[in-house]
Amino acid sequence: MSSALKIALEEILRARRLRADGPPLRGMGRSLAPLATGQSSVDALLQGGIPRGQVSEVHGPSSSGRTGLVLSLVARSTGDGVLAAWVDPADRLDPASASAAGVELARLLWFRGEPRAPRGLANAVAAVGTLLGSGIFELVVLDLAGIPACEVRRLPDNTWLRLQRMIEGIPVALVLVADAHVAHGPEGASLALRPSGPSWSGASGPGRLLHGLRVEARVGRHTIRGASLELRAFS
Amino acid sequence: MFGGLHSPRPLPSETTLVLLAREFAPRVEALGPTPVLLDLQGLGRVWPTPEALGQALLGAMRDRGLIPHVALAGTRVTALVVACARAGLTIIPAGQEAAALAPLPLNLLDLDPDREELLRRWGVQTLGDLAALPAAGFAERFGPEGPHLRRLARGMDDSPLVPAPLPERFEMAMELDWPVEGLEPFSFLLARVLEPLCANLKARGRRAVGLDLELGLVDGTLHRRALHFAAPSCEPRTWRSLLLLDLEAHPPRDAILAIRVRAEPTPARSVQFSLLDPAQPCPERLAETLARLQSRAGAGRVGAASLLDTHRPGAFALGSFAPGPFMALRSASAAARMALRVFRPPLPARVAVRDGAPVFVATACARGVVVDRAGPWRASGDWWDVAWSREEWDVAVASGVYRLFRDRLSGAWFVDGELD
Repeated sequence: MSSALKIALEEILRARRLRADGPPLRGMGRSLAPLATGQSSVDALLQGGIPRGQVSEVHGPSSSGRTGLVLSLVARSTGDGVLAAWVDPADRLDPASASAAGVELARLLWFRGEPRAPRGLANAVAAVGTLLGSGIFELVVLDLAGIPACEVRRLPDNTWLRLQRMIEGIPVALVLVADAHVAHGPEGASLALRPSGPSWSGASGPGRLLHGLRVEARVGRHTIRGASLELRAFS
Repeated sequence: MFGGLHSPRPLPSETTLVLLAREFAPRVEALGPTPVLLDLQGLGRVWPTPEALGQALLGAMRDRGLIPHVALAGTRVTALVVACARAGLTIIPAGQEAAALAPLPLNLLDLDPDREELLRRWGVQTLGDLAALPAAGFAERFGPEGPHLRRLARGMDDSPLVPAPLPERFEMAMELDWPVEGLEPFSFLLARVLEPLCANLKARGRRAVGLDLELGLVDGTLHRRALHFAAPSCEPRTWRSLLLLDLEAHPPRDAILAIRVRAEPTPARSVQFSLLDPAQPCPERLAETLARLQSRAGAGRVGAASLLDTHRPGAFALGSFAPGPFMALRSASAAARMALRVFRPPLPARVAVRDGAPVFVATACARGVVVDRAGPWRASGDWWDVAWSREEWDVAVASGVYRLFRDRLSGAWFVDGELD
């Protein structure tokens, strides 16, 4: 091997090893590391990110940034080489928003439910079970936002316990996106988001832009730790 | 001993002569549809003399309506050239090859036209003339090909017989004594068909890229299903799961009496794994998982999205999920971005407008006074096809922030989605 080629190869290897946010090399212990959202304030709140092997949830009312924050998590994960799945019983995901958030669409499996289909939610939950059992995906998102609470409550009582048992001990994270608290594992994250209102560019009138959404994030139901962040407009 | 078969009449099919030859010997070399060479070693127990064997070959060719040219000789080149030259049966005793070839014309060697013309100008008309040329002088004037040609003209082989590979056919069938109803008992029978089929594929270094399943039903009809996957596999368990999932979605209309499975073979893949990148998913498991998901969501509702090259809002395509090798090309955006949670189709809305701007919105998901707004932003396109033209607003009401648009062609208002 020529010396120039050898030096270039060594440079690449050195860069890959030393880049703190780079994908881990094969054999490195990626199983224990939580999945970072890429938002430093939220990651600090979650003590590193969304834990693996646990059911976690991100909940909040409309326009509280649930989807944007979870897409940021998916973007960060797929950028690290992780395969992710988005189970979408209400068929609300916008691929353009996901791409703008930095998601590698080729590494995101999208399960599109039929919003008006009977047993649509039950099918979505069964699909989550299939995805978790496959061992292929390290991050699975179940989007329950916008689904009436009574429909979610109609699921069998042991649904979330069963899913938690499925992923305990394996490096897979299941994230529920919901309007309100649904369930989380004993060591899973429960991130509550509250909208602080949108921010606009300039005064009211033509040419004005929606600049972003201001959000307050809180972990757990009884803790007082919180953080604020702003989700920027994507176009 | 070698046998040469040739038929100057156009053959019914390209494999007629090869199939005929395979009835006599397993080692057959096909030089196109005709002529064909056979390795006749070890056939003495069946046909004790070369004459008996030759007559059998002659009879078989006649039975198929061919003009028989059969030659038996100790070398393959002699058998081949004599079969091309002489009709009927010719048997060349060992050691007589050069003498048998000597009177035959030069063009039987299938030489390059320029080289053949050169030899003719030297006065070489027959293979005997060619064999009689002095070795050293011929090599000097004709080049490296000279000694090789001279050996051929003397009936001496320079290369062994190269047998044509047997046609690959991967198919298994099972006739049932009693009809089978339901997929659960059928799954056990399917395993009995798939396991030897996959073992055969594996033994030949092949994988199946697709399977054709044909079920004979009690009512006399056939139920046919064809499965194709991007990841070739020879795992019977995977194929059984995929076939059963497909049959769950498309069940046969009557009980099953016969099973026939045909595999479409492809060479086994070789994958060079990367030391640095994350491992790729097992193709068999991925195919099985996708099939299970599709059985729940329906066809075309599971896959990887890709954006289309258009300005039409919400345009995307859902392709098959096949993540290639990981390439860290772009880093995720540092700042989180809000996302649009789209309504498919857009929700019709009643909107009150004052001074050209929406002031009140009523729709299935939100109702209230517009607190703040940004817009309008106009976009249009596809005037040459199905035209669209819209005027977009981002509006904040008490329950959230929404993207509204007015269809400028119909004047109707819609909620495109919720900004979240």
